[in-house]
Amino acid sequence: MRRWPVIAFAIVALSALSGAAAYQHAAPRQHEGNGAWQEIAWPFPRDGWPAGKAFRCGVAACGGEVELYVRPKMGFCNCDRGVTDDDEVDRVVDLDLMSEHFAPLAPGQMVRLADMPGRIRAYDLKMPNGSPHTAIGVAVSRRCDLLVALAHGRAHAREMQRAALAFLATSEMTRWMTAAMEGR
Amino acid sequence: MSGRLKLAACFSIYFLACAGIASAQQQVIGGAPEALNMKLVGTSDLQARSAYQPTIHHQGDRWIAYIGHHGGSDEIPAPVNLQTGKAEPNGTSIVDVTDPSQPRYLRHLPGQEGKYEAGGAQMVRICDGKALPKGDRNAVYMLRTFGGAAHEIWNVADPANPVLVTRIAGLKDTHKNWWECDTGIAFLVSGAPDWRTRRMTQVYDLSDPAHPQKIRDFGLPGQEPGSTGAVPTELHGPISTGPSGNRVYFGYGTNKGGILQIVDREKLLDGPREPTPDNLRIPEIARLTMSAFNGAHTVFPMPGMPIAEFAKDKDGQTRDIVMIVNEAILNECNEPRQMVWFADVTVEKAPMMISNYTVPEASGSFCSRGGRFGAHSSNESMAPVFYKKMAFIAFFNAGVRALDIGDPYHPVEVGYFIPAITAATDKRCVKIDGQDRCKVAIQTNNVETDERGYIYIVDRANTGLHILELTGPARAVAGIQ
Repeated sequence: MRRWPVIAFAIVALSALSGAAAYQHAAPRQHEGNGAWQEIAWPFPRDGWPAGKAFRCGVAACGGEVELYVRPKMGFCNCDRGVTDDDEVDRVVDLDLMSEHFAPLAPGQMVRLADMPGRIRAYDLKMPNGSPHTAIGVAVSRRCDLLVALAHGRAHAREMQRAALAFLATSEMTRWMTAAMEGR
Repeated sequence: MSGRLKLAACFSIYFLACAGIASAQQQVIGGAPEALNMKLVGTSDLQARSAYQPTIHHQGDRWIAYIGHHGGSDEIPAPVNLQTGKAEPNGTSIVDVTDPSQPRYLRHLPGQEGKYEAGGAQMVRICDGKALPKGDRNAVYMLRTFGGAAHEIWNVADPANPVLVTRIAGLKDTHKNWWECDTGIAFLVSGAPDWRTRRMTQVYDLSDPAHPQKIRDFGLPGQEPGSTGAVPTELHGPISTGPSGNRVYFGYGTNKGGILQIVDREKLLDGPREPTPDNLRIPEIARLTMSAFNGAHTVFPMPGMPIAEFAKDKDGQTRDIVMIVNEAILNECNEPRQMVWFADVTVEKAPMMISNYTVPEASGSFCSRGGRFGAHSSNESMAPVFYKKMAFIAFFNAGVRALDIGDPYHPVEVGYFIPAITAATDKRCVKIDGQDRCKVAIQTNNVETDERGYIYIVDRANTGLHILELTGPARAVAGIQ
């Protein structure tokens, strides 16, 4: 009689832990509205910001193999001005995770993601092995917090930008970005 | 009572006890300050303006506190100045603290319009005209930031009636400057419009404050105009040891990717000025790159510290130490802990962290009190009363912490003071399930000391200025009678 609370507690705890573990190690998922993008493990070692989500898109859908990384950076933005210039995009969009060597292709443009304003810019990226890549960096903000996305690969910049923005605009990604910016 | 009933009762008691403990840590208006070996001497409400940098200046036979402010809040963008009856954007408070138990608010000098970090006049430094090589001997000069747009110099010889002397404008940001009063050389934290970073250094000769002479722009290679690739962490603030020490210590970063850069002052001032990557590297002696988890808000040099433990060693009895203070940014511990680090830079090419300090979270349940918890800044006065003996650290909701740093390899906390909140103390919020959940707690932002041994702390959440003094064993550490 006295042991039932312990047993019940253990069952609940084990259920919760196994559920969490299953979630953490779930197989890569196809994403709603755009089956071309497959979630992959965050490929970078730990840095100043917690890991975000990473995805891969194949040649058929994206014009070349493209990887996309998305994560919030809480407390990393000019609280009132937001992302107002291209220098800010160059500084924050995680290009340095890929390579120290990049150069913008053109001035950036304004963009909105998950109802947050910011800027998008295309880059030439010289990978550590010397191979050239194209990258698309997006930085949007709400109050003092940033959300950054970086797509890179061998696809043409325009095609890569279209595919990345379409995927980021899906309701599933919008929900995730909104929740991530709220610390959920 | 059945077993189930007992169990339910136990759980109820447990949860009520937890709630009780949590609420016991929450500050309440009218509550007593929390203190150890520090006591309150006097206060000023600073017109309930969010405060950043205090500088205390001995001016004739008076002691004047100059306090920089952030911009206003969403609720009150421009608080009313009771002296003028007008709403004024936050700027600089000037307070006579000759009698620290009765501070007299002399003047509010408005700053740039704008809220929070975007407005105000956060930083302030003071030099006497008679100390500057080409200054007006009757003048006292206040160098302050004007939001992110400009640096200004005012003559505050009559602190109640400042007079604008000059303005260095056209910037995209500003921050914590350093001004050598004996040479006039100023290291202005600026955002030059063509640089790729929000904050870098503009070196000026302000020996004649009425006629500023630009010497050069400086920063980390990769930040300069025209460069490509990764942009290094932005500057927070420098501290110079002047011509005698011939070093400038630059702190980059606040709560992320901190860098301590050790620079040869003479090479910085006299070297080639064009901001090319090579020219920017010439004055650099070494860097200490910190963990990506921590920034370098304040880098406070303490050269030539005798270390008692090493006294009988044939070499290395004295060490050059730099205290590095991180800045906590996010409320309620939503980031890695920001704290205090001590670096031994005696062998300049290989600076090494030797110790650290933080407030134990459990000592006050600080992560759940509300607002920021973690370090922000230290006192920057090098007056003998505390220099190389004690350091004071602003720790947001943990108030100010007094450290015995006589042995920087083993810093020890010897006192603290957490002011009580008032009706003016502003809330701090975090998002919980998409909704704001707000708490009110003290947010000690900055601290400074004067030559008399008083400690001045100011609050980011509008609670004003608190003037403190050491008591008991902490007083003995400083050698104050």
